Amino acid sequence: MSGTTRHDRTHWGVYLLLMLGAALTLVPFAWLISGAFKRNEDFFTSTFLPRGEGALGIAWDKLTLDNFRVLLDTSGIVRSMLNSVFLSSVTAILATLVCAAAGFALAKHEFRGRRVVTGIVLAAVIVPPTLLLAPGYQLLFKLNLLDTFSGLIIPAIAPAFGVYLFRQAAASSVPNELLEAARLDGCGELRIFFTVVMPLLRPMAGAFMLITFLGVWNNFINPQIVLQSESKLPLAVAVSQLRGVYYQDYGLQIAGTLASVVPVLALFMLLQREFVSGLTSGAVKE
Amino acid sequence: MTRTAGRFSIAPWLLLGPFLACFGVFFALPLVQSVGLSMRQTFGPAASEFVGAANYRNVMADPLFWKAVRNTVVFTVGNVIIQLPLALLLAMLLNRPGLRWRGALRAIFFAPVLVGVVFVAMIFGVIFEKRTGLVNQALHSMIGWDLDFPWLQRYVMPAMIIASLWQYLGFNMVYFLGALQNVRKELIEASTLDGAGPWQRFRHVVVPQIRPVASFVVLLSIVGSFQLFELPYVLFNGTAGPDNRGLTIVMYLYQMGFDQGDLGYASAVGWLLAALLIVFALLQRRLAGEAGRGARA
Amino acid sequence: MIDALIDMIRRMSASRGVMVIALLGIASSIAVAVLPARPPSGVQMWTFARLHKQMYDPIIADWPAELRPEITLMSFPALERRMLQGFLARTPTAELIECERRSAARAFVGPLESVGFTDLTDRLRSEGLLDQINGPSFGPWSSRGRIFGLPHDVHPVMLGYRADLVEAAGIDVSTIETWDDFVRVMGPLMSERGPDGKPVRYLLNLWEDKEDLIEVLLLQAGGGYFDEQERVRIATPVNARVISTIVMWCRGPGRIAADAADFSASGNQLKAEGYVVAAFMPDWMCNVWKNEIPQLSGKMKLMPLPAWTRGGRRTSVWGGTMLGISRTAPDQERLWRIASKLYLSPELARSLYTTGDIITPVRTLWNDPIFDEPDPYFSGQRKGRDYIALAPDVPNRTSSPYNVMAKLRVQTAVIALSTHAMRIGATSVEQLEPRAMELLKVAENQVRAQIKRNVFLDSGGDATDGGGS
Repeated sequence: MSGTTRHDRTHWGVYLLLMLGAALTLVPFAWLISGAFKRNEDFFTSTFLPRGEGALGIAWDKLTLDNFRVLLDTSGIVRSMLNSVFLSSVTAILATLVCAAAGFALAKHEFRGRRVVTGIVLAAVIVPPTLLLAPGYQLLFKLNLLDTFSGLIIPAIAPAFGVYLFRQAAASSVPNELLEAARLDGCGELRIFFTVVMPLLRPMAGAFMLITFLGVWNNFINPQIVLQSESKLPLAVAVSQLRGVYYQDYGLQIAGTLASVVPVLALFMLLQREFVSGLTSGAVKE
Repeated sequence: MTRTAGRFSIAPWLLLGPFLACFGVFFALPLVQSVGLSMRQTFGPAASEFVGAANYRNVMADPLFWKAVRNTVVFTVGNVIIQLPLALLLAMLLNRPGLRWRGALRAIFFAPVLVGVVFVAMIFGVIFEKRTGLVNQALHSMIGWDLDFPWLQRYVMPAMIIASLWQYLGFNMVYFLGALQNVRKELIEASTLDGAGPWQRFRHVVVPQIRPVASFVVLLSIVGSFQLFELPYVLFNGTAGPDNRGLTIVMYLYQMGFDQGDLGYASAVGWLLAALLIVFALLQRRLAGEAGRGARA
Repeated sequence: MIDALIDMIRRMSASRGVMVIALLGIASSIAVAVLPARPPSGVQMWTFARLHKQMYDPIIADWPAELRPEITLMSFPALERRMLQGFLARTPTAELIECERRSAARAFVGPLESVGFTDLTDRLRSEGLLDQINGPSFGPWSSRGRIFGLPHDVHPVMLGYRADLVEAAGIDVSTIETWDDFVRVMGPLMSERGPDGKPVRYLLNLWEDKEDLIEVLLLQAGGGYFDEQERVRIATPVNARVISTIVMWCRGPGRIAADAADFSASGNQLKAEGYVVAAFMPDWMCNVWKNEIPQLSGKMKLMPLPAWTRGGRRTSVWGGTMLGISRTAPDQERLWRIASKLYLSPELARSLYTTGDIITPVRTLWNDPIFDEPDPYFSGQRKGRDYIALAPDVPNRTSSPYNVMAKLRVQTAVIALSTHAMRIGATSVEQLEPRAMELLKVAENQVRAQIKRNVFLDSGGDATDGGGS
């Protein structure tokens, strides 16, 4: 009996701590959402929703959709949203195929040079990406790929990290007997990859796609450097440009931020399980 | 293993082909080129002149570079020693048996990870304002904190450590949670029977088992913190903030390479950054190794 | 092959993540393919200021189509980055680029022939514009003797003050001629104390980390970072004197300065509360105050800056914009016609003043009666005339690409001097000057080292400057 009471008491403290943490985590979101619907003159008069006579002590009539209206009218945000979806999803799909194929080859094929390639992949994982900023930019210039979507997508579809992840996944979840059987049936290697291997790698593929999608969606420095034309900018760059120097339109900035954050939040809520398992899978085996 | 050894097989190369092509052109080639580039002075990608080791000498002689290094190290250390223990604590709380709403709580703590750092900067730029900002106002009403506390004027790195704590706590927590779920229950039960208290159980049973993951998380944290750029860049409208208090190594690299057009100099900075990172990673390995021996003893 | 892919897709469909992203990928690819980024039609012009776009759009509305530029507004860092990238990597830019001083200077780092703006010097001379436009306004757009932009403004600086507070205290500002006078005459306004024992208000909106204001004060005193030949001159007695004074204003026993940041909600609140009595007001800042602190209407007045010495300069300069033409753009003739038509038009001069409170740099337009109208925000002062009276005295400025760097290194020096002042408990400006000189010397050497590193800056510029390091 005494054991249960002790158990209950600890739980009470645990819940308190967790709730406190969760509240602190949610505060910026609450602030973000309420800020997006406030007018500039009300922006700082109340922390969250403007206080007033309405229900729950909130001045509902002071809320406005103007920020979103201005956002839609002036900033080309719709086009940026499309660009973000395009860049993120296409990069995610291509990177998954490219990395899965390479990871599978490294895990399941015996060939001359395998050790060398594996070594290079492992070494490349630790190279800081910023080291490539300057020479990469010069290369894109020489290849005439600056200010093109290709200039952003192609360099991003072969991350060594991805190959490493898929190599681990293939080693543990693709049985050799299945490959042998498929070969005996006369299947070509590419066909085996698509019809036998990819389905087995499905969990990793789902997670990796989501990680890549999120990474590209939130990437700022690469599109900032590579892209130039207004009509090609993704949200991360377009929204950051709403921050003025000589004039701060807080409501507009916050509305833009909200519009950029909501799609990935929705995507995550939809696919939470796959996402989290994918994120951690790289760390399990070191 | 499939028995293709001994005779040349086209299949693996076909599978590796797309990766090797992209990797070779957009990773290996620029990496090799950056060695040569770091010995040239350029004005944009078109005009360049050979200057030898002068770039490295000039970077090392520039006090601003060292300021950037100091800021980056402060941020990294602050991130690692504040964020990771909190993430572990959070993971342990969430990992308690019989906890309700686990899924919902995990989703809440994880949500900020999905917010890109640019957007984090947009949010915290307003939250950290003097007088009207949420942080100062909340602290003022709770503990009488100075309403004019200059987060973005003077305490730039603490402000960024807080912003980054909000953003990445859930990310690190998920790793720890994964590791804790793999801790074998029998061991914990056995040590409880041996009369070990909660702290001893944690120290001698849990820590050794989550060590590989913890060490991976620390490394990830260090590498990530060293790349700090977007947060100050957006917070300070493309500058490094007052008195360069928000200057980081990558921002220094960006300013030199893309604001001033000297890609050669920027490459030299990039190599120095890589060198620093390796030093830090080795240091971390050594520290982790020593701690490991200590724990086992 | 196709059937293998279909088979794979069928088997993968159990993964929702894969399916959702695949669908997004297909849909967005189709959308991007059928909605190709529309190539802009007509002459493109970039600007970073919302206000400018609001001013220009009505003016150009009835221009003939072939002369009417399409104006795109973008943030300051975005414009700077895209402009530089265009110049350096030849990615597309607008034909006409309106940019601020800091951005323009960045285009002057390399060899003269690789400056991305069209050299307008000969055109300006042959059309007599060099005489028609206020001389100092060309400074920031001239590099190595060539002019690369049409000036948009003069931006003389006055001191805006809370007339309500000052007059209630019975203070007569006409007795103020120098900064010493200012401190003495305004002093009584600081006597009111809050519950924490600190003054409720301070005399001047200034802080040690405000690099713009430091530059304003240095230029007013005849100091600055570069001499007429664009050589670094930071460690000078004038500069040391000015920064020591700034530090004493912020940290000395007779502190008069406080920080109410511009362009921020918190700063505006402080200004409205009367936390600072006076603030540096270039003409454009009048407009910022009108928009952001409307409640101070009728409570403000302007006076010329107090001078550093009796008979000294009563103004300075802060900010500046130019309109440049991209050198690689086709049909330069037409672009020049558009640029000059826009910038030299009497309509714009009037609009600059009525919607932006900005004085035109075109001297021949200064007799417009609009500048004589009383301004209710500034208690009915005819401020247009007052700014114009100061315009010829505006100090000359450098266009050095290293100016931003110099400005930041001096800011660092001022902050270090301030720490020093607090440590030794400094009580006078003279006490700080030797240390100020040392710190400025450090800043100067750092800037010089960066300039020396540049192998592209040719003769006539900084490269000839070997002395002192």
